[in-house]
Amino acid sequence: MLVLRRRAGESLLIGDQIEIEFLEVSSQAVKIGIKAPKQVSILRKELHLTQSENRAAAREVDLERLKNSLENFHISSSFPQVSR
Amino acid sequence: MPLLATKYFGTMPYESTDVFHFPEGLPAFDRENSFVLIDMPAIRPLVFLQSATRADLCFIAIPVLVIDPEYELSVSIEDLCSLKMAPGRQPRIGSEILALALLSIQEGLPATANLMAPIAVNLDNRMAVQAIRCDFKYSHRRAVPGLAREEAC
Repeated sequence: MLVLRRRAGESLLIGDQIEIEFLEVSSQAVKIGIKAPKQVSILRKELHLTQSENRAAAREVDLERLKNSLENFHISSSFPQVSR
Repeated sequence: MPLLATKYFGTMPYESTDVFHFPEGLPAFDRENSFVLIDMPAIRPLVFLQSATRADLCFIAIPVLVIDPEYELSVSIEDLCSLKMAPGRQPRIGSEILALALLSIQEGLPATANLMAPIAVNLDNRMAVQAIRCDFKYSHRRAVPGLAREEAC
């Protein structure tokens, strides 16, 4: 991974069409501005990961096999009440 | 009692108290605002989250505390607002929030639970969000040993 040190007000270029400007820097967070072509998708990483996990989680599952595996599944003693 | 077309169980009746409202939908399923909890003793501790509008969309989920009894929520201010909960403190799992991890189950692989982005349901009003953490404290693919994996011969 390329590691660079930048200060507030400075920026960097990725290729010739993407510019990232560091607008504000504090000890907890940075605020950045991004200039990029419209067709470039920009997503928070955790949102991107959640989208792909959700698509995987929506796939068809073999319920019978799942039920059978539950017999061997260790259930934590702190199993909470699910509803109501 | 209203009827629901489901992915795994044909058409079945449901209680209005089992409907969860996701004002923002779920990432990758932004238009799905309404899911019904299907909780069957035979399949506990797993539950199903069946879309109320798309019969072919059903998630399998597990309470986060079953995976990790020490799990701590980190719900953003925006998500607390969607849940119509006061910002300023994290809600309690169990008494205030139902926290479920969506399971990803694929042939030949151990099941995984998304602890990075739990489904959080306000038990008072059934408002719900997928509360994506940004601290990477918990994995989006926590292995769930023993679930949905055939025993070795």
